[in-house]
Amino acid sequence: MKPGIPFIIFLIMLTSLCDTINQMFLKSAINSFSGSCLRDIRGIFSFIAKIIMAPRVWIGFIFAFLSLCIWLFVLSRADLNLAFSLDSMHYLFIAASSRLILKERVGPQRWTGTVLIVLGIILVSLS
Amino acid sequence: MPDKRLTLKIISLLIFSDVLETFTHFCFKKSTLTQFQAVITDIPQAFGFLSGVFSSHFLWMGILSVVLTFILWSAVLSRIDLSVAVPVASSSYIFVPLVSIIALGEKISLMRWLGIILIVLGVVFVSKSTSEKGASVK
Repeated sequence: MKPGIPFIIFLIMLTSLCDTINQMFLKSAINSFSGSCLRDIRGIFSFIAKIIMAPRVWIGFIFAFLSLCIWLFVLSRADLNLAFSLDSMHYLFIAASSRLILKERVGPQRWTGTVLIVLGIILVSLS
Repeated sequence: MPDKRLTLKIISLLIFSDVLETFTHFCFKKSTLTQFQAVITDIPQAFGFLSGVFSSHFLWMGILSVVLTFILWSAVLSRIDLSVAVPVASSSYIFVPLVSIIALGEKISLMRWLGIILIVLGVVFVSKSTSEKGASVK
């Protein structure tokens, strides 16, 4: 049975959302590391150790895995053009949640750039 | 407060992690192509397929490249905002078509060119937003 387009669109939104949540957890974990310096080999290894030890990174992995499973299902059912052009929405999710949750300053210039990229990806995927 | 500006060094790290990601997909695809069994109907066949894939060197190269990509990406995130890193990483949408033109001699349609130009403009805007006065420093 072929699922309807609205259901596929919902699933694509869901993978984008899971991806965004994954990135949120990863970034907030990295933000919580104090004074991480990556100048020498020791710094790099201690950075990697901190990442592996951070529970938030592992929570992120769960969402990444979920996102991959849904994405594979979508790819097996949906038109690739549609899937890739809708997936570009996650740039907007990332911008919005970086601002709301991570308190990053997303100004007009950054919003403009993000919207241009989304439009560009839609054109590239549809062509 | 660390400097959050997007430097050339960070851009090259981002691009390198993009290239590695493409390499990952290539390796995974290659590891499945080593299997002659195209149709899997029962569980023993599935195990046969998996054990074949896992004995392929390409699979292990792919896994190594996933780990490396993740470390690179985390290193980039420790330096810049997430709302900058993610858009700038979209440059892969530019490189893949460019490589297809130069290396494979593919023809690119007008609409695709338009899309590529929009993405380039977007990346420029996002990069410039990191040097806005007080924009990235809290």
